[in-house]
This record gives sequence, structure tokens and C-alpha cells, in this order.
Amino acid sequence: MECALDAQSLISISLRKIHSSRTQRGGIKLHKNLLVSYVLRNARQLYLSERYAELYRRQQQQQQQQPPHHQHQHLAYAAPGMPASAADFGPLQLGGGGDAEAREPVARHQLHQLHQLHQLHLQQQLHQHQHPAPRGCAAAAAGAPAGGAGALSELPGCAALQPPHGAPHRGQPLEPLQPGPAPLPPPAPAALCPRDPRASAACSAPSAPPGAAPQAATAASPPASPAPASSPGFYRGAYPAPSDFGVHCSSQTTVLDLDTHVVTTVENGYLHQDCCASAHCPCCGQGAPGPGLASAAGCKRKYYPGQEEEDDDDEDAGDLGAEPPGGVPFAPCKRARFEDFCPDSSPDASNISNLISIFGSGFSGLVSRQPDSSEQPPPLNGQLCAKQALASLGAWTRAIVAF
Amino acid sequence: MFLKFSLRSVFYGAGGGNDIQWCFSQVKGAVDDDVAEDIISTVEFNHSGELLATGDKGGRVVIFQQEQENKIQSHSRGEYNVYSTFQSHEPEFDYLKSLEIEEKINKIRWLPQKNAAQFLLSTNDKTIKLWKISERDKRPEGYNLKEEDGRYRDPTTVTTLRVPVFRPMDLMVEASPRRIFANAHTYHINSISINSDYETYLSADDLRINLWHLEITDRSFNIVDIKPANMEELTEVITAAEFHPNSCNTFVYSSSKGTIRLCDMRASALCDRHSKLFEEPEDPSNRSFFSEIISSISDVKFSHSGRYMMTRDYLSVKIWDLNMENRPVETYQVHEYLRSKLCSLYENDCIFDKFECCWNGSDSVVMTGSYNNFFRMFDRNTKRDITLEASRENNKPRTVLKPRKVCASGKRKKDEISVDSLDFNKKILHTAWHPKENIIAVATTNNLYIFQDKVN
Repeated sequence: MECALDAQSLISISLRKIHSSRTQRGGIKLHKNLLVSYVLRNARQLYLSERYAELYRRQQQQQQQQPPHHQHQHLAYAAPGMPASAADFGPLQLGGGGDAEAREPVARHQLHQLHQLHQLHLQQQLHQHQHPAPRGCAAAAAGAPAGGAGALSELPGCAALQPPHGAPHRGQPLEPLQPGPAPLPPPAPAALCPRDPRASAACSAPSAPPGAAPQAATAASPPASPAPASSPGFYRGAYPAPSDFGVHCSSQTTVLDLDTHVVTTVENGYLHQDCCASAHCPCCGQGAPGPGLASAAGCKRKYYPGQEEEDDDDEDAGDLGAEPPGGVPFAPCKRARFEDFCPDSSPDASNISNLISIFGSGFSGLVSRQPDSSEQPPPLNGQLCAKQALASLGAWTRAIVAF
Repeated sequence: MFLKFSLRSVFYGAGGGNDIQWCFSQVKGAVDDDVAEDIISTVEFNHSGELLATGDKGGRVVIFQQEQENKIQSHSRGEYNVYSTFQSHEPEFDYLKSLEIEEKINKIRWLPQKNAAQFLLSTNDKTIKLWKISERDKRPEGYNLKEEDGRYRDPTTVTTLRVPVFRPMDLMVEASPRRIFANAHTYHINSISINSDYETYLSADDLRINLWHLEITDRSFNIVDIKPANMEELTEVITAAEFHPNSCNTFVYSSSKGTIRLCDMRASALCDRHSKLFEEPEDPSNRSFFSEIISSISDVKFSHSGRYMMTRDYLSVKIWDLNMENRPVETYQVHEYLRSKLCSLYENDCIFDKFECCWNGSDSVVMTGSYNNFFRMFDRNTKRDITLEASRENNKPRTVLKPRKVCASGKRKKDEISVDSLDFNKKILHTAWHPKENIIAVATTNNLYIFQDKVN
């Protein structure tokens, strides 16, 4: 009777449930679908946390193999020509030099994307709670408490370093972290945030300058920081409170209000994810990086600040190396319509294409036309679906409403 | 003398759930399984306990009546036999929304008897109906212009006149719908509850609660509305609601987040702001993927006294004192051994099962169902609990039920059942306790079991 408490399998099971509820007699059961969406969200949280921990672990291992002089104080994300200054920046030490980078480009990119995703999610949580975010919680500079405060406080705004000079990875979304290399108000990025993810999210001022957008400003903590995996409390703390429900992220959704019978189309920001690094979302690549926090609906949320460099129609994700380890580049495809449903696809694929038609464009890209052949065989559609689900969870509630 | 003594000991439930020996009395329903329409979806005794109503998935209501016996010399209480059967709800189709409306009866509630007829409310997902169940045991005979078979006589052939008289006939029980309360709920109705004023009642769906007058069908008052302006922000739904048994202005509703709100209708027309909020803080060490699901309350029932209320979530039963909001006064674990199986239960959808719970007449024992056709009773005074099984194996009348035990882990003793061999398709969701005596009705999937305590 045992089943794998694996985040990904839970996600696919949940998706299947939501899909099958559509065809059950009596119409969509709001209560059951609400509960399923809670499971989806919890699984997603764990998935992100696990991925993050794993990538960090990998990074740590790799870093330990490096000669000491590669340790930098700044997060040198990139170009081999970077000044060797601050490598040892905590868990998201993305490596100090070209060597490291060449060794683990994918991992680093993954880590970065994962971090961004996490930051954004934390900000969403923050927004949901309507905490008035203190501008630059300059609680402390890179201080000792940060070291013990758990993983989150060390989440570098690593994510934040701007590729100072032409990073080889095009469009790496880096933003200035340290006051040094980039023009940023020092307090925000250098602020120490306490362990509580929500509080640390609060440190990222919503009105932060564009460059610092999805920042959970974290401490430039001393190098010897515990791995995220070693502070399990953090990940448990990452479980959202029920009131966080309503995480949303899809580009466009159509909603039918059961009471007023009004059909509305809602546009939201699009939450990118490591499996969907391609610029399929219409909102990316538009304009300057916006503030990290957006209101719940009707806002475009900028996720990859560097995305603007990408062509909107760029379908080639390969260059970014934007795949999960062993995964397949996610080729975007046209939005599947109900009529396009291919009965001879795997059951998951058929469900997914139906789901797409239900949920609107939030799931575009779920069904990949043809996964690029790469080192790995194409993953199951269920796996793709799960990955996408991690990015766009809010569509579920709308799906419920839509019926 | 003897009669008085035995009745009193019965009423106060001497010894409670454990000292009582429960015996099999009857089982109703088909022996062979799996007719979907026969799945019992609700069970309810009326106020005297003489009538027992069941609703099923096919929209039918079956009412059983207890035989009246001479109690002094009875060795068991009267049997329940079918009294009336009628089709309460039919499947419907909402063409506007392209939704099929199930005919499954979600709840039945009896009105107290005011005259010879009986009245009950039955509801499916969208429509509530008031049914009048009346007996006819006489019929008029001896009409002048009509033959006995109903044909009309030619008036010119009438030569004498007579007065028609009532003559006894075979008892006929008729059920007729007296009121239909429709079109008031957008979401699925989960509860109905009759007010202690016996004039109004409430109906609750996932997001709203409406107040009706029993005489008026074309309008109702909305008294609770938790629908958010933006459905994306939906975080909880209403799962059950009930009027207080004595205070006609007070009702409670439970939510999927594990909270109960008590509202006073005198405070305002729209009772969106609760008077009391009952919530127990979550134990962080028990946090899991499924925490939200298992904390969702599936049933809420006031005690007969009105001082307490009981809530059922997936794994436990909690008794709340209305005067204390921050935690329940008693918590009983129904099947804690399932906590490690939540993932599998999620996969097979069992984690969404909505168990009901009930009080005995004196509020000293509470009962609820579980899996493998087990049901559990908790004695609030002795703090003892018992697990019994509803099974056709023990179907000799007055067979005492043997207590069952589930072995959570480790070495399984003889007669114990291991968690992995529990049958999760055999679930007892609906139970009812006679308001005055130790008679219980327990519904398995499509059978109704009646158990009584052993009367010497």
C-alpha cells in the first residue's frame, strides 16, 4: 500500500484528479479541488526546496574541489574574466571562475533559476500576506547571525549579480548584489534576513529598484554557511500557510463566474521555471525588469531580468542550458486546443492537452511538440506536466471557477 | 417497577459505549453488492426514534418504522420495517452551465411531529424538498354516483340514497412533496438544519448559507457568504452547518481549514463576522503534504444539551465546549494508524471521504465510522473506546458483537487486523443513534445495519 511520497508523482496524481473531476457527474466539486490544489502547492514547495538543496550540494562539492584562491567575495557568476573576489558566498556560491563555470554550467544555471523561482514565490507569499515590506531590512550586514540563520538567509541574491561583462550564458538573469560591482542601494542586498522565509521576503522591498527586483535580500554571509539541506527547518518553513493560497501565475486565463455568469479574461505575470526557460510567455522580453512584487491579478511580472535580451520568438532554449539535469529542453509549442487532442498519445498527454484547454495558456508548453533529443530520452509527458505545474499553480483555482 | 428501572438504565447509558454490549438486530439491503444507486448517502432518526430514514445515491428515500411492542415483556426492542419508499429527487440537467445535477440525497432532516403526518426535508446538491408522509388506513365507500371501482353511475339509475362511510383498508403510506425550495444555491449543498423555532431552516453550500421559511419557497435570505471577490483568492469552503438545538438565533458552520464559526443572527443580517471562532493550532510536527486535507472538517453536530459540539476531521473526533474557542475539550483518535498511509489514501481518493459523527441521547457517548466496515464509539465519561464491525457474518439476532482491534505496526496479535489488510472500499460514513434508546443505525456502502444493546 505504499506509494512514493515523491513531489513529482504527487503533482501528476493531483493533476489527474483535477482533470478527471471535470468529467464526473454532478460537476466540479469545489471542495475536493481546493484540497487537491493544496497538495499541489505543498508538493511544489518541496520540489523546489529539494532541487535547490541538491544543486547547492553539488555546488558545494564542486567548490570544495577548487583551489582556494578562487574564492570570491562577490558572486562571480560568470565571465572568466571576472575579478576573483568573492566566491565564497554561501550556498549559492556559483563558482569563482571560468573553470568552475565550465564544469557545471547547467547546475549553476539551474540553481540560479531555482533561486529566482523561490524568491518570486516568497515574494508572492509576502504579497499574499500583505506585509508592508520594510524598505531594505538592513538588519545587519553580513553578520554572524546569518550564518546560523539557515539556508534562506544565505540565498544570495546570487541570483542577483549582473553579468558584469558579457557572460557566456546569454541572458543570465543576474542582478547586482554587492554594492561593489553594481549600482545598487547597499542596504537592500546586504540586508540580513532572519530565517523565516516570509520575513526574509519582506526584506526585499517591493519598491526596490528594478535591478534588484526579485530579491530576497540576503546576507553576504561568511563563507562557512550551512547547506540548505542541513537546515531542514527552513524547508518546512517553506510550506505555505493556507492563506497563501492563490499563488498565481499564468499569462492569461478565462474565468466564468458561476454566480454572475460573467466571463472575464485575466492576465497575469508569467512565472518562468527551469523547464520553461524558453520565451514562450508573451510577457517576457518586454521592457525593463519590473518590480518583483506584482498584485495578484492583471499584472505582468518580470521574472528574468535578462530575458529582455531574448527574442520573444526564440524557441531555442538550448543555449541557456536551461534544462534540469538530465532533462530535455522544453520546446514551446502552440497552445494545444481541445480539438488538437491526439487520442494515440499517452494518457498523460491526452489529459494534459485537455487540461490546457481548460486552464488556458497557463499551460501552454505543457505538451511539447518534439522534445529535442539530447543526452537523455524525452521525459514522460507527465513529467513535463509536473514541471510546468510547479511554475503555474494558480491556474487551478481558476479552473475550478471556470466550471 | 421493573419497566421503570430498565428504561432508566437504558436512557442514561449505564456504563456507556464499552459496558454496553451491542448486539446485531437487523440488516437491510441487498446481499449482493455494487448497485451504485443503492449506495446509502444519509441516515437519520426522527425525533421520537420511531422512524428511521435513509437516502441513497439514486435519489430515493426509504423510511423504516419501529414496531410497537409491549415493552414490558419484550426481549428486544421493536424491529424496524419498511414504512415508505419514494423517489425524492431525480437527476436534472442545468442547460445553462452544461452541468448534470446528481439526484443523490445529501441530507435528510425530520421535522418534529405536529399532527398525524410526518414531515421531512431532503436535499440533493441543488434543491431541497419538504415531504409529507401520511398514512391512509380508511377509505370512503358507498358513494351514490360512483361504483366501487370508480366508474360513474348513470344518475337516472339511482333509486335510493345512502351516506358514504369510511371503512378500514390496508395501510397505505403516501409521500407527497409539499414544498420545493429550488434555485438558491450555486454550489453544492452539503447541509440542512432545522431551527429550534420549527419555522425556519438553513441550507449550506460550499460558499453560502441561506435561511428559509418552511412556508415560503420563492425566496430565502443569505446569511453567510464567504465567496471572495476574486475566486483566485479562495482558501476555504464551508463543509457543514447546524442550528443550535435550543437557541434559535445561533448556528455554527465548519470550514475546510478546520475552523468552526459560531454566528448570532441577531448581530446582523449577514453573519459574515462570526461571534466565536473555534480553532486548534496545528501541530507543526505533524505537517505533511496532506495537512490541509486531513484538517478539513467533514461534520459538525451539537450535543443535545447545546453545551458542546462535536467535529469530525479525517483522523479524529473533537468535542468543543462552546465557551472555549482556542482548543477542543476532548479529542479522540479514530484511526491514527492511517496517518502514515495518507499518500496511498490520497491516491485512491479515500482521503476525501466525509465521515459523519453522532451523539447518543444523553451526550455521554459519541460514534463515528471508519474503514473495513468498522465503526467506533468513545465514552466521554469512562474515556474508553470500542471498535465494532458491521458485517453479515454476525447476523444472528442478538449476537453480541465482538470488539475489533487494528494492529498499527509490529507484531500482530491473534484476532487483530493489520492496517494493510483493511478494506478501504468498505467504509462507514453515515451513522445515527436513536434519540432515546441504545439503538444505532450504521450504513455500510449499500446496507443498513441496526444494532441494539443487549437487554436482559
